[in-house]
Amino acid sequence: MITPGQPTPGSTRSLGQLVAELNRLPGVGPKSAQRIAYHIAQIPAEEARGLAEAIIAVKDVLLFCAECRNLTDASPCDICANPQRNRDQICVVEDPRDLVALERTRAYRGLYHVLHGVLSPLNGVGPEDIHLPQLFARLDGASDPLQEVIIATNPTLEGDATADFIQRRLSGSGVTITHLARGLPVGGTLEFADDTTLTRALSGRSPLE
Amino acid sequence: MTQPRTYRAVGLTLRKRLAGEADVIATMLTREHGKLDVLARGARRLTSKLMGHFEPLTLLRVAVARGRALDVISEAEVITAFQSVKTGYQTTARALYVAELVDGFSAESNANPALFDLTLQTLNAIAEQPMSDLPLRHFDLRLLDLSGFLPELYCCIDCGAELEPERHRYAAGAGGTLCPDCAPPDTLIRPLSLPALKVLRLLHRTAQPAGLPSLNIPAAVQNEVHSALSATLQYWLDRPVQSQRFLDATKSA
Ligand SMILES: [Zn+2]
Ligand SMILES: [Zn+2]
Repeated sequence: MITPGQPTPGSTRSLGQLVAELNRLPGVGPKSAQRIAYHIAQIPAEEARGLAEAIIAVKDVLLFCAECRNLTDASPCDICANPQRNRDQICVVEDPRDLVALERTRAYRGLYHVLHGVLSPLNGVGPEDIHLPQLFARLDGASDPLQEVIIATNPTLEGDATADFIQRRLSGSGVTITHLARGLPVGGTLEFADDTTLTRALSGRSPLE
Repeated sequence: MTQPRTYRAVGLTLRKRLAGEADVIATMLTREHGKLDVLARGARRLTSKLMGHFEPLTLLRVAVARGRALDVISEAEVITAFQSVKTGYQTTARALYVAELVDGFSAESNANPALFDLTLQTLNAIAEQPMSDLPLRHFDLRLLDLSGFLPELYCCIDCGAELEPERHRYAAGAGGTLCPDCAPPDTLIRPLSLPALKVLRLLHRTAQPAGLPSLNIPAAVQNEVHSALSATLQYWLDRPVQSQRFLDATKSA
């Protein structure tokens, strides 16, 4: 096994360096880092250069959309610039990947706001550490009257705390605040649902149309 | 003698971290086995029976199989998810403050049933009095006591003399109260008023948060007590308490 950063017998300093860098990526342990490093060492030079250039291009080109804070190559992003989208609805998500998931459904035609994180007391992450001030500034300064803010944070302890924070901050502003329904997962059974899920499924029940 | 391959426990999830594709590694405080890191396989899958069980501040009955690196959850049943403390971000943060400190002060696999009981009692106290700081300060002092770091509150930590009224100071790094004549080197000494000292002694004498009298403590005294206790906690923990920073940052919001 290559120890990150250290030349190991049978390895080299440059391979060790690559393993160390890969090992810092989310979900990549020392073993995977080593496997990827050896793979890169053996692919054609153009392929490796393509990978390196893609990484650099992401850092050079990618920026936050000035309106919704999603990652984009140009600001405003395609969604914010699209005249077909409802401008009186904003859906608040934790992460750009959540936005992608919601877009995949094609069920939502409003705008978004990406927080890039959640309030996390255990990690000392407060409102100023994520893109919450930008959300409030955006809502306070909106030129078009806003109808609805849909809070789509994850149904976790921290996601709920974030939703509560936003709701308290916006209460009294006249805008309707809604939350994604939470309840039983598709394919789940009542018997195996925990109390929290069942409680929420009950409180979020909706009339049959 | 060989250890049994599985064991049962009642435990509170203090924190979780994500592992693998859909796994969770949870840090739990159990009554029987102290603090444990356990692997909950597939707990993030929507179809998993364990889904959602390992959110922080969930009290569980678990069956655990001993593993090579980590012990693995084989069964889990929620006793309570403490919904009553998770009604808002402020109470959630207060409850997480308790979880963070318990985590910081507990040793792995070192059973401390009194600390386990205090933790649950404090969570219940937060549910009953969501905006009162007294249960948290009581927790601070009792946690120090149950972890072997109780600060001295009756004598001078340096010369041993019994404290006289209005002649006392406090030094977290020295281990508690000081008389006005003693000044151990390299310690930050802070003034400590008689009302603040009395509140600290009262917190120490009260075994359970439910037994706390309903007091109307002036804000200045509360601040003094809080600041002495948080200096002491940070001294032993040797790092800032993140959830306290969160509570400070959101106080005015
Ligand atoms: Zn945008
Ligand atoms: Zn003295």
